Amino acid sequence: MIKRKSDKVLFYVFAVVFITAIGFPFFWQLTNSFKLEKEIFDIKWFPSAFTLDNYRAAFSRQPLLGFLLNSLIIAGSSTILSMILGTMTAYALARTPIKGKKIVLLVILSISLLPPIVIVSPIYNIMRSIHLLNSYWGLIIVNTLFCTTTSVWFMYPYFQSVPAEMEDAASIDGASPFQSFLLVITPMVVPGIFTVGILAFIQAWNEYLFALVMNPVKFKTVTVGLKMYEADNYIPWGPLMAASVVIVIPLITVVLILQKRIIGGLMSGGLKE
Amino acid sequence: MTQKRMGYLFIAPTIALFAVLAVYPVLKTISLSFFEYRLQFGEIKTFIGFDNYIRLFTTERFYKSLKFTILFTISTVSVEVCLGLLFAQLMNKDYKGKSFLRVIVLIPWAIPTIVSGFIWRFMVNDQYGILNHILKSMHLIDQFIPWLSQSSTAAAVIILADIWKTAPYVSLLALAGLQNISISQLEAASIDGASSVRKYFAIILPALKPVLATAALFRLIQSFKVYTIIAALTNGGPANSTESLTLYTLRSFFDAGNYGYGAALATVTLIITVFIALMFLGVIQNKINS
Repeated sequence: MIKRKSDKVLFYVFAVVFITAIGFPFFWQLTNSFKLEKEIFDIKWFPSAFTLDNYRAAFSRQPLLGFLLNSLIIAGSSTILSMILGTMTAYALARTPIKGKKIVLLVILSISLLPPIVIVSPIYNIMRSIHLLNSYWGLIIVNTLFCTTTSVWFMYPYFQSVPAEMEDAASIDGASPFQSFLLVITPMVVPGIFTVGILAFIQAWNEYLFALVMNPVKFKTVTVGLKMYEADNYIPWGPLMAASVVIVIPLITVVLILQKRIIGGLMSGGLKE
Repeated sequence: MTQKRMGYLFIAPTIALFAVLAVYPVLKTISLSFFEYRLQFGEIKTFIGFDNYIRLFTTERFYKSLKFTILFTISTVSVEVCLGLLFAQLMNKDYKGKSFLRVIVLIPWAIPTIVSGFIWRFMVNDQYGILNHILKSMHLIDQFIPWLSQSSTAAAVIILADIWKTAPYVSLLALAGLQNISISQLEAASIDGASSVRKYFAIILPALKPVLATAALFRLIQSFKVYTIIAALTNGGPANSTESLTLYTLRSFFDAGNYGYGAALATVTLIITVFIALMFLGVIQNKINS
């Protein structure tokens, strides 16, 4: 490919615009989380003196630590459960001669496209009748539902890509189908499962609608908790920005460390026509 | 145990979960939409046929929320796809720093919508928002604009905030499509002397069609169920002008306690979603047959 100089200039101009557009809101969030209230009102670009007051207020005005713990438990458990269900289901669909595969795939796709509002009221009633509102388990189960659809979609092609000879060899060596699933096939797709796990965790961590409807009183998640800072038309912007930095840091850290895998996972998932 | 039996055993828990928490609730919502069923009356359900739907289609608030939802869906998805294509083209260039661009697009995608909503709400604040400050110092406005207290600007901010969050993700999908176009295809075109603009419309865009159709299907349906970004930015205000269909439905359920009417609203959302999905039937068939 021939590279022209004008192309290069254009690339960097676009890149700067692009990075500024994406990065500015984060810069604004971060810089304001360290400002004194007066400087927030004065709209200064940088705090003249860094203060951690907003962070202290973020943890004292609301039980932010509790929100984080709740989200960690709920999103973590849903991720683990949906990885187990997703691995089993994707394996069954990709590698066993069961009937009705297309119907199952259609159901999974439909659920992943289903607007939550269509099912929120019956789920609320089910959870109320089995006393799982304002609990960990209720939200874990609901998040597992949505994360499982994601994980089956992403894992299905991974399982399809394992060559059939692997299974044949395992069965010749006397492995039962279950042993071949657990000891031969699944280990080959572990990197894939790991990537899907990150996607599922982000999905569950960020969920808002069900978290608000089901756990409005106890075991609030971070997304619901953040909304709690807003009271009577007054928003303490400094503490709110500090709290949102705290909520976002674990996600951004994970994304930055595992960016290659996530990009690969998202891109292959989008391509899978 | 045969492989087949194990296969059935393996999908059984997932099928059970789907049946209880997705299939049953969908059917329940549809059936409830034909009943008068309110929190205030306890567990009493009275069959009223299509009355909830008649009420809905004669309620102005329903049309208002539907219109806003459609406006939001069409504007976000069309801008996101265009910007996504542009960004993808940029990210596909082989210059130093391209991998940094790929990382940075992940960040808006990864953070919770409620967080990005609050950041935007802060930036467009009518007293100490940076947007007003910048516009004023550039002499584009004389006075600070109360962006979220006027219905037209409030809608624009919601749309902008959603584009900011999702266009980078769409660009990643478009990039995946771009990388799948064979170089030989492009080289053949440049030997024929095709200009880069013509090359783009004659070769690249058609080759991206399947990826774009998939992205459009998912984005249209996601946008149509918009709720969280509104909860963070306006709560549906001012005067319900930015109330989406999902927000209106949620309020009918849990604020008004009108489960039958809410179920009718939810069923309308479902029908429109199915309609969007049917427009992309090819995409769905491809997904299932792959």
